[in-house]
Amino acid sequence: MKSPLSSARQIAEPIIWFAGLLLIWEFLVRWFEVPSFILPAPSAFLSQLVIDHERLARHGLITTKLILYGFVAGAIPGIILAYLIARFRLADQILYPIVVFIQGMPKITLAPLLLVWFGFADFPKILLTALITFFPVLVDSATGFRAIDKRQYYLSRSMGASWWQTFTKFELPSAAPYIFSGFRITAVVAVTVVIVVEWLNSQSGLGYLVLRAMDSSNTPLLFAILMVASMIGVVLSGLVTLVERLLLPWRSV
Amino acid sequence: MTENASPNSALSSGQTSHAGASIVATNMTKVYGSGDAAFHALGPIDLDIKPGEFVSLIGPSGCGKSTTLLMASGLEPCTTGTIKVDGKALTKPLSEVGIVFQDHLLLDFRTAMNNVMLQQEIRGLDKAQTRARADMLFDRLGLSHAKDRYPRQLSGGMRQRVSIARALVHDPSMLLMDEPFGALDAITRTQIRHDLEMLWLETRKTVLFITHSIEEAVGLSDRVLVMSNNPGRIVEEIKIDLPRPRPAHLGEYPEFSAYAERIYKIFAKLGVYKF
Repeated sequence: MKSPLSSARQIAEPIIWFAGLLLIWEFLVRWFEVPSFILPAPSAFLSQLVIDHERLARHGLITTKLILYGFVAGAIPGIILAYLIARFRLADQILYPIVVFIQGMPKITLAPLLLVWFGFADFPKILLTALITFFPVLVDSATGFRAIDKRQYYLSRSMGASWWQTFTKFELPSAAPYIFSGFRITAVVAVTVVIVVEWLNSQSGLGYLVLRAMDSSNTPLLFAILMVASMIGVVLSGLVTLVERLLLPWRSV
Repeated sequence: MTENASPNSALSSGQTSHAGASIVATNMTKVYGSGDAAFHALGPIDLDIKPGEFVSLIGPSGCGKSTTLLMASGLEPCTTGTIKVDGKALTKPLSEVGIVFQDHLLLDFRTAMNNVMLQQEIRGLDKAQTRARADMLFDRLGLSHAKDRYPRQLSGGMRQRVSIARALVHDPSMLLMDEPFGALDAITRTQIRHDLEMLWLETRKTVLFITHSIEEAVGLSDRVLVMSNNPGRIVEEIKIDLPRPRPAHLGEYPEFSAYAERIYKIFAKLGVYKF
């Protein structure tokens, strides 16, 4: 068991290191008189964070919402298809080569195409995030479903388990740790994807704010946006870990 | 079943108590592939297992012991042959059955007790009654303190005990065991062998038991079926006429040694050993 003191230290230590790093940064920028539009001092972008907090929060929420929609829209079909691929040889033979091919494609390059096809609303952003989520979740979930011992099915059959019982009581929980590892990979990548697509077209979101900041050479604001985007990434992967701990308590015993 | 005044007799009583079933398999074979590529893996095999009998299948690796066990319970289709359980032809997987494999195959996301209670959930059995039976089995198998532990928190022997409880909690008429103690150390093995024998004496399930160990086969069985390789066949049947419960250290008893000797000789004749 970890003592509360040691876990408090675990949290405190990186914060102290980070604060120290910012202090050195601040000192160097002032000492060498680096212009703010090239590299702002931490005091500059942290105060920007405070000044612009309303705008940052509003656009940050819009981006977060798109990430979550895309995440759900990609994860659910990913899990379902993974199940089919793992359980049915025909699905495996037909779909898996296609999956491997598309997975190798840098999907972010589809962004302009999706904008041409689906216009300038939220849909193409969600779709691209879903695509980016879909593949890691699919591949990891398929590994999870495949890792189930074949003899497990003799047991479930001997119990007279229905298809649904086999899925919910044996297969899904067995594959869950793998599925979550797919989620963890996705949580951070999804932030990048939405921001990049927002560069291409948007009247809102953090990507849009990035463009606005660049137009006005507001580098402190760029750094403030970067901080917000990192925070979204950290919170999302933290959420995945939290949900995993709650749903899969046996993993941490 | 003899009347038994001990509190443990509840294991074999209750409204759904099943004594052992009989299995009669005739001309069972397993052929993989077809035409020129067909590979005759197993059989023909005939089995005639009486209700409540403890029968072991022993033989070299790859002789088809596991397949025989799975086919006899309808969990794996046979290429030819018929199987009758309690006189009725088997057309779908037998569900009045409990299975223990060499690997415990417990679900690592369920506690020991919840792994056992999975039988109740899936079969839709009465919860309180099954729970009472599970408690009793845990007690008998020395698992009372482990109910709320996850499999990864248990030793190999304990996990195997939990899978035995899972195989018995729904009071099946047949117990299929595929090298259940194969992965355990010798000391644990001897103890769990005895505990299984005691449980069996009380419940008299029909047991089909696969093993590599002559000591286990002779130590537990009423009858040992010796199998050969390529294709897998039953080459010899040995009735074990020893009093029960059988002792821990079987080697001391000349009758035991005589049976073990017989099986060794059959293995030697089959070319299982190359010295």
